[in-house]
Amino acid sequence: MPNDALQDSLAEKRWLASLAEGDPKALGGLYEMYGERIFRYTFRMLGNRTDAEDATAETFLRVLRRSAELRADGAFRTWLFRIARNLCIDKLRQHKLMELPPDAQYSGAEDRTTLRVAVQQALNDLPLEYREPIIYCDLEELSAKETADILNISVPALKSRLYRGRRALRDKLGSTIERM
Amino acid sequence: MNEEFYKKLVDLYAGRELPIELEEQMELKAFGSTELSHDMSTLRRTVDTLKADRGPDFTEESYQRVLMKLYARGANIEPKVAAPMHLQYQLPIQG
Repeated sequence: MPNDALQDSLAEKRWLASLAEGDPKALGGLYEMYGERIFRYTFRMLGNRTDAEDATAETFLRVLRRSAELRADGAFRTWLFRIARNLCIDKLRQHKLMELPPDAQYSGAEDRTTLRVAVQQALNDLPLEYREPIIYCDLEELSAKETADILNISVPALKSRLYRGRRALRDKLGSTIERM
Repeated sequence: MNEEFYKKLVDLYAGRELPIELEEQMELKAFGSTELSHDMSTLRRTVDTLKADRGPDFTEESYQRVLMKLYARGANIEPKVAAPMHLQYQLPIQG
């Protein structure tokens, strides 16, 4: 295990142990470790900053509420992403019911290159079953095993979705990718 | 090996999951096939673009807004705050 990963793993164990002992301040340590990744993930799933901030906060609140269930056995990250995922899926359903575009606030104040906007928009257009493997494996760089665990599918099924998703994304990006 | 065989490997090629020898064989084969070459290059570019994407910025404002939401919902959260620059270095003791 690389040194940084080892340090992170030890820090994670320490914070989880403190949280399990009822130290609510330990949540701050976990937020420092995973806040950015959870925010990026929720933003990519939901397509706007406001919803991503809400979902990030709610994810960590659920960690606090369920701290008694926590085990420092290396599966915390999978569990954390699973909580965030469930929250995102609930929010996406609400958006659908309310007919709000998921990227309503995306292109507004965000200072992005054309390519990044194009990728995010193409990603938003993909069905969830293709979008999720791309977010986890390519954008968040989680392992295939970890992603398969989060999605509750087998690794071959995950790979199949990932490959189809990449092709669908390539087709949506069309000329943007051709010109590169 | 025929072109159909290589077409089946394009997904692995795009994700850089193939051994280097096989990757080189594919690239050689692609010289003679526009279709295979196009599939290989565009799919690999797509994966490379995704992997190079830093994603949305977790700005200081977003960081603070999430913290405020946690406070507002009753979490007694105390994130580690980086020490100010002037406290990060020990000054030599004088005298």
